[in-house]
Amino acid sequence: MKIGVFIPELLRHLFKKPATVDYPFQKLEVPKDFRGSPYLRPELCIVCRACERDCPAEAIEITAINEAEKRFRMVIHNDRCIHCAQCVDSCPTEAMLMDTRFEISDYDRHNLKMEWEYIRAVVKPKSEPKTS
Amino acid sequence: MKFQIPIGPQHPALKEPISLRMTVEGEIIRDADIRLGYNHRGLEKLAEQKTWIQNIYLTERICGICSHSHTTCYVQGVEKLMELEPPKRGLYIRTLVAELERVHSHLLWLGVAGHEAGFDSFFMYTWRDREIVMDILEIITGNRVHYGINTIGGVRRDLDEQQIKHILDSLSVLRQRSEYYKHLGTNEPSFVARLAGVGYLSREDAIALCAVGPTLRASGVPMDVRKDDPYAVYDEVPFEVCTAETGDVLGRTVVRIKELFQCYNIIEYLLKNLPSGPVAVRAPRRAKPNEVVSRYEAPRGENIHYIKSNGTDKPERLKVRAPTLGNYAATIKMLKNGFIADVPLIFAAIDPCICCAERAVSLVDARTGQEKIIVMNDLKRLSRRLSAGNIRKREAEWPL
Repeated sequence: MKIGVFIPELLRHLFKKPATVDYPFQKLEVPKDFRGSPYLRPELCIVCRACERDCPAEAIEITAINEAEKRFRMVIHNDRCIHCAQCVDSCPTEAMLMDTRFEISDYDRHNLKMEWEYIRAVVKPKSEPKTS
Repeated sequence: MKFQIPIGPQHPALKEPISLRMTVEGEIIRDADIRLGYNHRGLEKLAEQKTWIQNIYLTERICGICSHSHTTCYVQGVEKLMELEPPKRGLYIRTLVAELERVHSHLLWLGVAGHEAGFDSFFMYTWRDREIVMDILEIITGNRVHYGINTIGGVRRDLDEQQIKHILDSLSVLRQRSEYYKHLGTNEPSFVARLAGVGYLSREDAIALCAVGPTLRASGVPMDVRKDDPYAVYDEVPFEVCTAETGDVLGRTVVRIKELFQCYNIIEYLLKNLPSGPVAVRAPRRAKPNEVVSRYEAPRGENIHYIKSNGTDKPERLKVRAPTLGNYAATIKMLKNGFIADVPLIFAAIDPCICCAERAVSLVDARTGQEKIIVMNDLKRLSRRLSAGNIRKREAEWPL
C-alpha cells in the first residue's frame, strides 16, 4: 500500500488555470440548441392551440379578443414555464421558438409574463404537428 | 442499556428528509427503523390528470439525477401501450443519453462517497469532471439536468457529426480521469480503510431483501435489467455486468468505478455504430385500454413503472417504483451491528433519492406501532362514532 497517492495530483493543481470563469463579468456561451424561454412569431401563428394543449405546465394561454376580426391574444406565463420546448415541437408552422437567454429572474413573477396580440395568420402548415 | 436515537427528518448528514430511528447499545446500532413520508408530492395522482405527452415532463421531474431513467421507463411503457416501434436511430440516441446519465450519476456518487468519508478533494475532483458530462448533455439536449430528449415514439433531437466528435473527444478525457480515480480508490490507504468492511451485506441477504442496482451487484449477484431483460438496444451492445465480492461500501465503490468504464465502452460503441434514418415516429394521442409494466436499469438500480390506460388521452394509473425504495430493506440490514458514525456512509452508499421513493403513505398507531392503510369510509365511521355521544355546541366560535 502506497502512502499519499493523491499528493502529485494536488501539487499539479497549484499550477493549473482555474476551471471556472468570472461569471457576472465574463459569460459562457450557451450551446446552439439551448432551451431558453419560448417566444411567438405572431405572423406565423394559425391559432391551432397545439402548444396550449401540450404544455405540461399550462403556461400558454390563448384567448380570442374578437372572433369576427380573428384577433387573438397569447400570453406565455414564464413564471410557470418549465423550459421543456414541447410547444416548439408541437407547433405545425414554426411560430413558437426558444431564445437563448438564461438570466431571466425577476423580483415580481408578473413581470415575467409575455403577451402578443395579433390577427390569425393564414399560413399553411408545412407538416403535421409531430405529436398530435 | 438501550437508547433510541432519531436521525432526521432534518439532519445535516442527510440531503433529503427521511427519518431513521436507531436503537443503540453504546456506539453499536442494534436495530434501525426507516420512516418515510416527508417528501410525498402526490405525483401519481397528478399524472392521472395530464395527457400522455405532458406526463413525459412530469415523470422527468420525479428525480433530477435520474430524470432520463424515469422518462425512458415511462415512454417505453406508453410505446408498448400504443404499439409503436421507435426507429433504431432514436433508440440509439436514447441509450446514449441513458449511459451519459449513468456516467454523471456515478461520478456524482463517487464524490458523495468521498465527501462522506472525509475526502473532500476527491469530491471536488469528481464533481469537476462531472461537468464534462453535463456539458455534453447540454449540447445534445439543450439542458443540463432535465434533458427532455424522450418523446413518445423516439427522441426529439438528432445528433450531428460535430457533436459526435465532441463527445468522443471528451470521452477520452473522462476515461483518463476515471483511470486515476480507480487507482486512487483502490490505493489511498485512508480512503480504503474508511470504506472497507462498512455496511456489510451478504449475498444471501441481498437476494432475500430484494436489493437492486450496485448495492446488489457489490454483494456478488450479477443482476442487471440491461442484461436480463434487454430494452432499447442493449441486446446489440456488448458490455459486462460489473460485480464485486466484498459486499461492503468499498465493493459498491468498485462496482461503480467498473461500471464507469463499461459506460464509456457502450457510448463509444453507440456513436461508432449509429444507424441513419429518422429519430421518431408519430404517436397517436390516445392509447387503447390496456396495462403495462416497464423496467429500466437506472444508475441506482431497477426502476419499475406500471401504466394503465383506459382509451382516453390520459393514463388511468401510473405507479412508480424507484430503485431507492427497493434498497431500504437492505439498508436496515446493513446498519445493524454497525457504528453510529457509519450511518451517513452506509446510507449514502445506496445513493438514496428520497423524492424518487416517496410514493405511498400509511398510518402508524403510536401506541402499538401497527401500520395500516385506512380507507375513507373507515375514517368517516370513526369520526361519526367519536361525535355520536357528544352534545352539539350550538354557538361554537371559530377559533381564529
